[in-house]
Amino acid sequence: MRIDQEKCSGCGICIPYCPANAITIVNKKAQIDEDECFECGNCSRIRVVRCPKKAFFEQPGLYEGTRAARKFFSDPMTTHSVTKIPGRGTEEVKTNDVTGRVVRGQIGIAIEMGRPCLGTNMEQVEQMTVALGKLGIEFEEMNPLTHLMEDREKGTIKPEYMNEKMVSAIIEFGIPVSQMVPVMDVIKEVAKELDTVFSLDMIYRFEEDGSLPIVPVLEEMGIRVRKNSKVNLGLGRPVVTR
Amino acid sequence: MTHSLHRRGTEESLKDDYVLLVTSAYGFNHEGSKDKMRKVLEEVFAEEPANIGSYDTGTILSGVDIQEIRDALNDVPRVRCSFSTKEKMLAVLKKIKELDQGMSVTVSGLTEEVLDMAKELEIKPHCINLSLEVWGNVEKLPSEEVLELVTMCGHGLISSGLVEDCIEKVKKGRMTTRDAAIKISHPCVCGIYNPDRAEKLLEKYVPLKEEELA
Repeated sequence: MRIDQEKCSGCGICIPYCPANAITIVNKKAQIDEDECFECGNCSRIRVVRCPKKAFFEQPGLYEGTRAARKFFSDPMTTHSVTKIPGRGTEEVKTNDVTGRVVRGQIGIAIEMGRPCLGTNMEQVEQMTVALGKLGIEFEEMNPLTHLMEDREKGTIKPEYMNEKMVSAIIEFGIPVSQMVPVMDVIKEVAKELDTVFSLDMIYRFEEDGSLPIVPVLEEMGIRVRKNSKVNLGLGRPVVTR
Repeated sequence: MTHSLHRRGTEESLKDDYVLLVTSAYGFNHEGSKDKMRKVLEEVFAEEPANIGSYDTGTILSGVDIQEIRDALNDVPRVRCSFSTKEKMLAVLKKIKELDQGMSVTVSGLTEEVLDMAKELEIKPHCINLSLEVWGNVEKLPSEEVLELVTMCGHGLISSGLVEDCIEKVKKGRMTTRDAAIKISHPCVCGIYNPDRAEKLLEKYVPLKEEELA
């Protein structure tokens, strides 16, 4: 994002809204540190910051270079050209009753790098994807991050994207339940090395009796399952019964 | 992505906070679903959600009206909103079940409460997304109080700086808790931020007495 220096009055109302803390006042004008900017679009929205001078504008050619990754992984008002899904991941549990992405005997894992608050760069994302690649993880085809990988088996990211920063990038994949323990062990190990944070989530298909037998296994591993979750009620049609 | 998952807070503060998402599945049942979703949207809005919005327009809290949201439904339509009582959430789910439009429905909230509602409505839940905490360099995160508000926008658009700024203004008596709750909502464009819960959280920051401000 950029600021028209002719229009900017230097009032500074935009400053607290920036999730990247990228806006400062220099010589009585607001300026954006483009290296830090996530391209989330907050500052330019007329119903968010409400800049009285309408001084914010998107830089020309944003969607043509590697910087587009910042936009797709930060601004939910954009829709990725490959997935056709707004936001930065898949429809995950939201439509799983219809898509059958995660069926009985499997779990779906999402590692939301940079969430909450800190954001991430691709170097940190690659730390996790390379570690998972060694376990033979097959990364989710419908997630835009997978399309930035140079080698999907190794989990390496294309070098030209390594300096891009974003609000969050989601590493998504499905595995058999039997692989859960070694995969979670690797995730826990990489967590110790990171300079950012990630939110971790796991999709599970309810058993026929409505139970969730993975919960005690997770707790035994020292992984706390929070009391709040997201439940797919199974009202979609046609419903996947597996 | 799971923007309605990972809300921080105590069980007490999460108790009256539900996020409803009604979603057509791209490549499965999204074609021709716009009219179905409009019917769902009308029923949802009739139950007075605490917030509702769309990726294309923004939210009612930022000045958008329901007609704009309705008109902006795109080819892969979705309904995104939040409710502040179990009674309202239950009433909406009952209507959606009766409408039977075949769109996927998820509810985010305390798991036990959501499963209770499903049982009462004789709905068999299909699957769940569990929140397994935050990992990594958590020492760099802002305070838990700030996180409770920030995480109501799972897209990460509410900055900790905005929350801290509003808390400061509430403490100094320059802003009411309701005004602060609404101001913090503006960056959340999809409508899942719950202003009623935010107001309750901000009520902890009562204006300081004059001698404390001096």
